[in-house]
Amino acid sequence: MNTTSASAAATPQPFFITPAEVFSEFSHHHPSVARINNGGLGCCPSSLISSQRQIQLQWLRQPDEFFFNQLQPGMLRSRNVIKDLINADHVDEVSIVDNASTAISIVLQHMAWGFAEGKFHSGDATVMFHCAYGAVKKSVEAYFVRAGGYVIEVPLPFPVNSDDEILQEFRQALEKAKQNGRSVRLAIIDHVTFMPTVVMPVKQLVSICREAGIDHVFIDAAHGIGCVDVDMKQIGADFYTSNLHKWLFCPPSAAFLYCRKSNQSSALHHPVVTHQYGNGLATESSWIGTRDYSAQLVVPKILEFVNRFEGGIDGIKRRNHDAVVDMGEMLAKAWGTHLGCPPHMCSSMVMVGLPACLHVSSDQDSSKLRTYLRGKFGVEVSIYYRPPKDGEVGPLTGYARISYQVYNKLLLLLLWFIDISGKYLSLLQPKATTLPLSH
Amino acid sequence: MQHEYPRNGESTHPSSKKPKLSSKFITESDIRDEFSHHQQRVARINNGSYGSCPDSVLTAQRRWQLQFLRQPDAFYFNVLRDGITASRETIKDLINADHVDEVSLVDNATTAAAIVLQRIGRNFAEGKFQKNDTVLMLHCAFQAVKKSIQAYVTRAGGSVIEVRLPFPVNSEEEIISEFKKSIEEGKSNGRKIRLAIIDHITSMPSVVIPVKELVRICRAEGIEQVFVDAAHAIGSVKVDVKEVGADFYVSNLHKWFFCPPSVAFLYCKKSTSSSDLHHPVVSHEYGNGLPIESAWIGTRDYSSQLVVPAVLEFINRFEGGIDGIMKKNHDEVVKMGKMLAESWGTNLGSPPEMSAAMIMVGLPSRLCLHSEEDAVMLRSHLRDRYEVEVPIFHQVYVDREEGVRDKDGFITGYLRMGKLAKCFIRNEEAVIKVGAGFHGITCVLPASDVCCISQFLKNRIKGGQGAAPKNWNF
Repeated sequence: MNTTSASAAATPQPFFITPAEVFSEFSHHHPSVARINNGGLGCCPSSLISSQRQIQLQWLRQPDEFFFNQLQPGMLRSRNVIKDLINADHVDEVSIVDNASTAISIVLQHMAWGFAEGKFHSGDATVMFHCAYGAVKKSVEAYFVRAGGYVIEVPLPFPVNSDDEILQEFRQALEKAKQNGRSVRLAIIDHVTFMPTVVMPVKQLVSICREAGIDHVFIDAAHGIGCVDVDMKQIGADFYTSNLHKWLFCPPSAAFLYCRKSNQSSALHHPVVTHQYGNGLATESSWIGTRDYSAQLVVPKILEFVNRFEGGIDGIKRRNHDAVVDMGEMLAKAWGTHLGCPPHMCSSMVMVGLPACLHVSSDQDSSKLRTYLRGKFGVEVSIYYRPPKDGEVGPLTGYARISYQVYNKLLLLLLWFIDISGKYLSLLQPKATTLPLSH
Repeated sequence: MQHEYPRNGESTHPSSKKPKLSSKFITESDIRDEFSHHQQRVARINNGSYGSCPDSVLTAQRRWQLQFLRQPDAFYFNVLRDGITASRETIKDLINADHVDEVSLVDNATTAAAIVLQRIGRNFAEGKFQKNDTVLMLHCAFQAVKKSIQAYVTRAGGSVIEVRLPFPVNSEEEIISEFKKSIEEGKSNGRKIRLAIIDHITSMPSVVIPVKELVRICRAEGIEQVFVDAAHAIGSVKVDVKEVGADFYVSNLHKWFFCPPSVAFLYCKKSTSSSDLHHPVVSHEYGNGLPIESAWIGTRDYSSQLVVPAVLEFINRFEGGIDGIMKKNHDEVVKMGKMLAESWGTNLGSPPEMSAAMIMVGLPSRLCLHSEEDAVMLRSHLRDRYEVEVPIFHQVYVDREEGVRDKDGFITGYLRMGKLAKCFIRNEEAVIKVGAGFHGITCVLPASDVCCISQFLKNRIKGGQGAAPKNWNF
């Protein structure tokens, strides 16, 4: 065996996945849609779909045997893969659930019990950003507010120029809560906000929470894994959830919920109760009745896929980020607008200001524009309406949220988008009034 | 970009009671093809646990899955909601519900139980119920339901009454009598029974319960709400939610209705309180009614819920449709059960009219099944050594005097026979026919080896190993 460092250095480069192979892996995507909304519903390559099918067939072939002999070891394998990816201490801290919405329901149900069982008192608060995902807000309403809790919303400055702007708003909100004598029981912080999308300074926000004595910190990182760096020990939160089907190529759907070991963590339960009740959240979550667990069991195969790319998942993240920032900057320049935040606060997504003459003046306008772009131009992109603040002169009220994933071809998309936007804008000349939004 | 699911251009209210008139029904060979993905060597006699799904339905499911992956946003905005509504409409007609708003699709009966019981828990927490108000259930309720009661009712301060299901059982009157006794007990000391949970078909041991009569008794006794856990019902017994008359009724579609894993319907009779039922996984649809909440609980694969109309097409390829399938399954499982019981000198756990597509067959007492562990070991042994998949039930006798005996002792074990294997062997191997026909599943067993449970057990008994074997190593 010749394993000297010299011979190691001379080892030829492994073969990385080629552009043609990437194209083939995503050949099931609609060929005439410019798919720049990976942040919405994610994507899954053909090889993982095949792996998933094999698992599905194994179950169908002999479900009893699968249940008794294969399911639990398979779930444990997936959890161990995730534990390593996120730098958790122990696999018991990692549960697999359907999606971030399920994870937030688990944590908030636990909070509701806190009120019911007298650990929390009426008026105790949760603090979250105003742009928290809709499902999160509703979950807070369903579990926390209904049980007697109070919600403190922190405005997210947008457009935003620095982490400090966000940290300042957060500190102010906590200070105000303190002055009003409110106990803050839970902080819900996005790692990457949904709309508008910005990478939050989570590590500093968690520190601020600890200084303020907040009982529990929950990071909603639906967009986390595969999009930004995810390190549980570094971030230091009590709970952290991320979808695997958005940016980590998992088929729909799977997410992990990390719960740092503590006295509290053993008291969390999956809301769908089975005979596993009381055996710990991770075990409860791995059996919630007869269903298809293949998306959760296929996780080890995901690593095989991402490691075909140069640099693995880190390489993918870096290239996605660079490409989406390039695209965003080119569009902003072409349209005479700006990005919603500086590049270092972007992930694999970027907010690009839309020309003011498009007159996006409401959430309905942004929906209509999105539908129009899909139907008329075959472009799938999320549009955000940013309400003007008092005293602002000529602010941008519309932004496009552009995503970039490995199946996107930067130059092609860019040319396409600029061409479309040119056509679109030309529809508005000479009168810059309502027009396409009424289509 | 609309999905061309089969309902396009066809009636949107397919009736399960009147299958399409067709001169050509599904053949034995078609059935074999449809289930060719089953492990061929295994005698799969446990359809009741995890169900089965034919190939044509799996193909339809894949089309839905690929459609989502192709353009997920368009799917979400333009296709998903309508597809789920179409499935709900199909089910509404099948179960004779008044309105599609009464029908929600969830993953399984376990999820439905959590939905109903979570609300009970909230009512305790919010002071609508008093400490020690009661929930009533059968003692053999499915373990997940019992745990759900623990998680949501007991934890919130409620109490539980268990109705002892007599087993073996000889008549519906025996069950009704126990039920009435338990209600009396439940109402003693001024306690209020807030919810009765009644199985339509119990899981283990499996018996068809006279739900209509029990619901009527609940109403007469002033029990606030009734939840029927009918996990096994649809495709197994007639399901008419208006006739049953319960407030909530759930059944899995992947057990006996050929859906892929997994999908169940939860029927909630329209009332003032039904608007306060919520799916525990909250999305932006919160507050729009349980059916709408359940139709979007975050990004996931909804294909098993979307495929319901295609399942009905499969079922209607059989003569008599679902009614035909139910009758044939029942007749054959009873025939087989009787044959085995006679051959072993044992008994059936219930009379034929109290079984559907599953029957409990007493195991010879000489097997000396003395514990749950023994039952599990026997089941594993049958799977590993003889490739027979069948659940085994250990009967605990409260009072030995009630026990049923065979010639050697008390019968303490039963097997739950679900779908039957029509065993035949292809090619050069010898043909061994167990007896009853079966829709679709075949099993191949070598002639040189034990050919079915019957033979295996005869060998056990012949070998004189009647003493309690703690170790099944052989």
